[in-house]
Amino acid sequence: MGKGGMSHGGGAEGKDGEEENMAAWLVSINTLKIQPFKLPPLGPHDVRVRMKAVGICGSDVHYLKTLRCADFIVKEPMVIGHECAGIIEEVGSEVKSLVPGDRVALEPGISCWRCNLCKEGRYNLCPEMKFFATPPVHGSLANQVVHPADLCFKLPDNVSLEEGAMCEPLSVGVHACRRSNIGPETNVLVMGAGPIGLVTMLAARAFGAPRIVVVDVDDHRLSVAKELGADEIIKVSTNIQDVAEEVEQIRKAMGAGVDVSFDCAGFNKTMSTALSATYAGGKVCLVGMGHSEMTVPLTPAAAREVDVIGIFRYKNTWPLCLEFLRSGKIDVKPLITHRFGFSQKEVEEAFETSARGGNAIKVMFNL
Amino acid sequence: MGKGGMSHGGGEGQDGEGEENMAAWLLAVKTLRIQPFILPPLGPHDVKVQMKAVGICGSDVHHFKNMRCANFVVKKPMVIGHECAGIIEEVGSEVKFLAKGDRVALEPGISCGRCTLCKDGRYNLCPEMKCFGSPPTNGSLANQVVHPASLCFKLPDNVSLEEGAMCEPLSVGVHACRRANVSPETKVLIMGAGPIGLVTMLAARAFGAPKIVIVDIDDRRLSFAKDLGADEIIRVSTNIQDVGDEVVKIGNAMGAGVDVSFDCVGFNKTMSTALNATRPGGKVCLVGLGQSEMTVPLTPAAAREVDVVGIFRYRNTWPLCIEFLRTGKIDVKPLITHRFRFTQEEVEKAFETSARGGDAIKVMFNL
Repeated sequence: MGKGGMSHGGGAEGKDGEEENMAAWLVSINTLKIQPFKLPPLGPHDVRVRMKAVGICGSDVHYLKTLRCADFIVKEPMVIGHECAGIIEEVGSEVKSLVPGDRVALEPGISCWRCNLCKEGRYNLCPEMKFFATPPVHGSLANQVVHPADLCFKLPDNVSLEEGAMCEPLSVGVHACRRSNIGPETNVLVMGAGPIGLVTMLAARAFGAPRIVVVDVDDHRLSVAKELGADEIIKVSTNIQDVAEEVEQIRKAMGAGVDVSFDCAGFNKTMSTALSATYAGGKVCLVGMGHSEMTVPLTPAAAREVDVIGIFRYKNTWPLCLEFLRSGKIDVKPLITHRFGFSQKEVEEAFETSARGGNAIKVMFNL
Repeated sequence: MGKGGMSHGGGEGQDGEGEENMAAWLLAVKTLRIQPFILPPLGPHDVKVQMKAVGICGSDVHHFKNMRCANFVVKKPMVIGHECAGIIEEVGSEVKFLAKGDRVALEPGISCGRCTLCKDGRYNLCPEMKCFGSPPTNGSLANQVVHPASLCFKLPDNVSLEEGAMCEPLSVGVHACRRANVSPETKVLIMGAGPIGLVTMLAARAFGAPKIVIVDIDDRRLSFAKDLGADEIIRVSTNIQDVGDEVVKIGNAMGAGVDVSFDCVGFNKTMSTALNATRPGGKVCLVGLGQSEMTVPLTPAAAREVDVVGIFRYRNTWPLCIEFLRTGKIDVKPLITHRFRFTQEEVEKAFETSARGGDAIKVMFNL
């Protein structure tokens, strides 16, 4: 099934004599180039999707800047991008539930479905996972991709393609809320008001969290969080000496115990604050990518049975995300702050914008 | 309902009857003295228990050496000891299920029964918890104590008083196994073959763990663990550089993934090893008292959804412990390595022996 390859040389006809499929390739550090991208043959359970909306993730930026992300290393040119939605162009012979013209959001990762983790339903942890834009698997910032039909989810009529692409980051928040059992009784603390903190906040609200406090070092991001529905926002520092004081502020702002803390920033300081601020018997969820080694007060937290829950991507979240978007329970549209077209110049500008952070929350390509 | 107080000088005891109640008081760093201990009045739901067997715990030794243990600080003289069993002397007016002469094991901690945590069943986390031998609550290394009847559990005929006292440390292991969901499908790694590692191992086996690997730096303790039923034992170092190597050895010894790791030691190295050795989706349980701040590779673990589960004491474990002992599913008798009587000289010797560690696993007083 593969994920396609690079074809060299310009112009000329593509696979079917039609336009050549182009993609944004990460060719070396800080170097993205739009080049042809040969698609693999369409298997019986695959679909071919014309990409319409692709978002940029922090991991995409990390690969661009360093050619690596945690233990994943880019060793040869790779197509970037994984937050995507598009329109079905062609379906494989065994595909029954989708037809050309269907608008779909794509779940990026293809797991093996044979290992114990997959069979237990924890397929996000599959050691053979092939994931868009996690080396060596090509991503989806391209005109078209080929993908398993069961990982393409039909968008309701009132959900746009951009919102479809937003299902991917939103899924991280949804998965985190599920693993930490968010409900109408869990008071939630979110550390970090970046894209991941914000989708986690939106998901927590959708799961019924009665009270949500968001903290960040950046005033602008905090005000975005407030507009998006945070009950309280607190500006915090990067100084580890301030942990105790900030824990006090958080408790006051919550007005009750913190049941679940989501660390969506992943520094010693944020983890230490989360561990100290969470009430006995509560949970701290480490969401997204943080520092590898952390120096944290683990024992006092463990001695209050505050558990640390790990989050890696997501599983079985697209249907729920689409339902939240369809019903309006979650509105992700305000998170899309910048839009770009699919040209060499705009791709470069888009990544610069995303890397800048600040007022750039989600940068979206419209193809 | 207090926990009694110190009376000065000799003379008659509380009721003018018999001998005065004596207890081992912690007066200052490394200073234990057997002195009178006035019992509080017997409430309608209380029982008076003649102490027969009292074990020494690492926390008792810590209080002894430092006048503190974690956040518990000994500010005034306090009776030491909390792992205990004895014979009912007298029952309060409302006590229905116990009678004079009954042999009972005591659960040390009295929780408030009113707060949210108590009402949720997580009474071990009650902020108002009054626990034998945790300042400022007097302990149970005494001739007699007064205690709620609901926290005294009748011993079956074939379970000795010493085994009854062992229910307390065994409860830590049982609670850890419950929180970590140990079952016939969980392969278990135990860091540390001291008293807590050993009771955790015995509990894990009783919960059905099919394979148990135990690691320690001390050969004697390792061979003892093997005698008690460990499937594999591995000698490890105190050198953090060895983590990578040791994780490989553990994997080889287990022959499969580690589902649950119990860190019964609590150092950077042991936590790091446990986090790295546990398979994706598994759990690491931090049992007993460890270092306060730890520098550990938390993010890679979280990114494999290896959760860190905290353990604080136990809840609702006595009936299960007693049943395990009654059926012989667990045999704690080999853990009792040293015995002492209740005299000034022997109390001092007993604490020295326990503090020494090494071949001293559980030091028991027979009163």
